[in-house]
Amino acid sequence: MAAEAAAKTAAKTAAKTAIHRLSGMQKQVLSLYRGFLRAARSKPQQDRFRIESIVASEFRRNALQVDRKNFLYIEYLLRRGRKQLDQLKSPDTTGLSSVDPSSRTDH
Amino acid sequence: MAMKAAVLRHVRLPASAAASRTLGLASPASGRWGGVFGSVFRSLSSHGDDHLSKDEVVDRVLSVIKSFPKVDPSSVTLDVHFQKDLGLDSLDNVEIVMALEEEFKLEIPDLEADKIDSTRLAIEYIYNHPMAG
Repeated sequence: MAAEAAAKTAAKTAAKTAIHRLSGMQKQVLSLYRGFLRAARSKPQQDRFRIESIVASEFRRNALQVDRKNFLYIEYLLRRGRKQLDQLKSPDTTGLSSVDPSSRTDH
Repeated sequence: MAMKAAVLRHVRLPASAAASRTLGLASPASGRWGGVFGSVFRSLSSHGDDHLSKDEVVDRVLSVIKSFPKVDPSSVTLDVHFQKDLGLDSLDNVEIVMALEEEFKLEIPDLEADKIDSTRLAIEYIYNHPMAG
């Protein structure tokens, strides 16, 4: 059963800036990312690949779009991401799908 | 002495780190014997033939990083920083460390994983890890 993967949390580091120490929030983001990748390992290979692609692109999309100082929103994304990760860890879940808000049509 | 010889006869295995690690677990009374076998085996391997050589660690670490899709293999050297030199981001860093986990059959805790951000640190960590395989 697919779990919805909405927007995830932002990764704070830009590739070119020097990273000396990770902030607490950055660590949480990376920890969540790692959690998703670990959970994906336990899924069948095809599902694993798909999960990894979706998670990778969601995290990077947020890294670009979310202001790194928008702590409230980032914390919200972290909370939501953790819930989704819990769902993903269930053996019944074999994949994620992501919804692109811009592709919604309004009735 | 007789015990040691008897154990030695049983302990001759083909050079396989995986086999040596599972030896203690195979026996039914693994709690007690696992400990004995484990400690006997460790004390007998005086040349560390049950862990990887530095060269092997270096080769395999570099090869994992070179095969990472976003990396230019020609820029991967012994002391290159994933983000500063290879232009990766912190998410890529997470992916690289996980790829190294799979290569060496390890699970690296978050605290340590967050620190591994260069080939040098990756090599050092893995080489010093008793369970690297």
